[in-house]
Amino acid sequence: MQTILVMMLQPGPNQTLPPLDAGNSSIWRHMSDALHQSIDRVLSVLISILPGILAFMMALAVFTLIGMALSALLRRGLTAAKFDDRLARGSGNVDWAPSTSPTALIARASFWACVLLGLIIGVSAFDAAYATAATPPSSLLPYLTRVVGAAFLLIAGTLIARFLARSVLIGAVNTQLRYARFLSLGIKWLVLVLTAAMVLDHLQIGGNVVELAFGILFGGIVLTLALAIGLGSRDLVSRSLESHAEHSSDSSAAPSTTSPDDSIRHF
Amino acid sequence: MATAYPIPEITAPSARPGAGLLVLLAAMTPEQLESVLANLTASFPAEGLIIASSDALPAESYPSLRIVAAPATNASWTHTAADFVNVYQLAEKNGARAILMLSAESGSLGSSAFRDLANAVLTTSTDLAVPCYDLPPNAGLVNSAILYPLTRALFASRVRFPLAVDLGLSLRMAERLAVAAHRFNAPNQGEAPLWPVNEATVAGFTIDQFDVGPRVQPPPTIPDLNTILPLVTGALFADIDAKAAFWQRFRQLPHAGNPMPMPRPMPQAPSIDAAAEIAPMLQAFRLAYTNLHEIWSLVLPPNSLLGLKRLSATDAAAFHMPESLWARIVFDFLLAYRLRTINRGHLLGALIPLYLAWVASHINVSASGANPERHIEAVAAAFEADKTYLVSRWRWPDRFNP
Repeated sequence: MQTILVMMLQPGPNQTLPPLDAGNSSIWRHMSDALHQSIDRVLSVLISILPGILAFMMALAVFTLIGMALSALLRRGLTAAKFDDRLARGSGNVDWAPSTSPTALIARASFWACVLLGLIIGVSAFDAAYATAATPPSSLLPYLTRVVGAAFLLIAGTLIARFLARSVLIGAVNTQLRYARFLSLGIKWLVLVLTAAMVLDHLQIGGNVVELAFGILFGGIVLTLALAIGLGSRDLVSRSLESHAEHSSDSSAAPSTTSPDDSIRHF
Repeated sequence: MATAYPIPEITAPSARPGAGLLVLLAAMTPEQLESVLANLTASFPAEGLIIASSDALPAESYPSLRIVAAPATNASWTHTAADFVNVYQLAEKNGARAILMLSAESGSLGSSAFRDLANAVLTTSTDLAVPCYDLPPNAGLVNSAILYPLTRALFASRVRFPLAVDLGLSLRMAERLAVAAHRFNAPNQGEAPLWPVNEATVAGFTIDQFDVGPRVQPPPTIPDLNTILPLVTGALFADIDAKAAFWQRFRQLPHAGNPMPMPRPMPQAPSIDAAAEIAPMLQAFRLAYTNLHEIWSLVLPPNSLLGLKRLSATDAAAFHMPESLWARIVFDFLLAYRLRTINRGHLLGALIPLYLAWVASHINVSASGANPERHIEAVAAAFEADKTYLVSRWRWPDRFNP
């Protein structure tokens, strides 16, 4: 590669050299040297972190295999020992779905623990190789930890947003609020925006811009909801509230177990 | 919380082994209590009775009766797990041979009801004696829509009121229920009902049903349907899940006449303005159809969704939910409960508008002059016919389901 670069920088045999003085040839030589040194440095760093990358992949693969073996072993052992039945008898809790039985949970947890261990060992091996090779030495592990944390935040935020959105939607529909979907969407986006801001903040991306943007966006959503409910949907809300009040006082079947005249009794 | 409390005795602790019948009375007004005690003493010799009540009964007012204090529970409209634990402990301590559990408003029952329920467990080999009430046409609708058809289809039992509030229990039945009640020892499960009919069927015990005539049903402690329907259906679904190994086998439903009598046909519905009655329910269902379609589509197959789409566009006067559609909906919700397709609280909440649609349909059928009991029997038959679908999907949930 170095040879190619040197050849590229040198004039061809058919090319006529421009009139150069001693100063110009010195500049070309210096540039060539600088490029040579830079390429040397990058190549040496790449060569020095290559074992780290290999170690990372090896650790991950080995621990994944160990995890699979351990998981299968635990699953077989616990199934043979009728662990689920014993636990159900002991704790009195029989509320297990097949996909989340105690045996399945333990087997799955052991597998992912092994994978996580392999990941940590691999990253630390890679980090050590990278830190010794890099000048000035810098560490990759802390930022990777942040990335993992941010990923967890993102997953948790998305799950919470979906859970809250569904809870609000079902609750609002069962109380016969006409703007149930709108409320549910509002709650969902509030949580998602909050999650996105937390993730970016955790990754230290954007700095103050993210905080400012989040403040504006979050406040905007809340204001929009308030305006929509307070002004834009005034008639809708009043109709809905009136109908709700009428139902609770007159003949609602949904919220109550009996109707006032007792002609319908759900229990 | 199903806990056993120390049981203090009010009267002199003269142990009378084999005293006979232990009667557990729920909290009730003095007038009702007097009526119940009068009926009991008219039907049974006083020396054979042990009266257990959480109310402070003055022993001097009833000198011939043996009165013991029962631990207070927070149940009033149905028996909870704590009641079954407590009643078994009381029966064992006092040497009773059988138990009669009476809920609030049991003063509205006739003396023959007490006699039938108690004699069945005292003098015959019956382990569980359950009443069959004569309720007004549009009463006990959760029972008619979900509890009765599901119990009948899965446990091959004709008991019309699986969640009956008055029960006669043999000692071994009480013991079994007390053991089952220990499952509900978590703090948030205190209100969850127990299913005596399912327990008795699984244990192979004998069940007898008796016509007891009309009865004033105690109102639920929580008047909100949105809270209580998920509580009751969730408890039944959990019990069905726990007993899956039993009900997946084919069992023949006992003949109507013997040993389980068919429930008496209910009286005809009074002429009500059905359209006005069902309007809020249909409104709730249509609102849910536009908003909860996404959630329902996670639980229900396309065929059921198509049926619901048609229903949402039907006029109030012609509104009728086919029995097979309702059976399929309940089975699919049961399957989703088992598989945790979505959060169980959300799942049971999403069932409420569908239940209201069934109620609207039932009221329409009643208003058309048909016997409501016949409609309920048709629903139960649809559940029985579709049981193979449930068993199949219970075993192979990922199988193609159009």
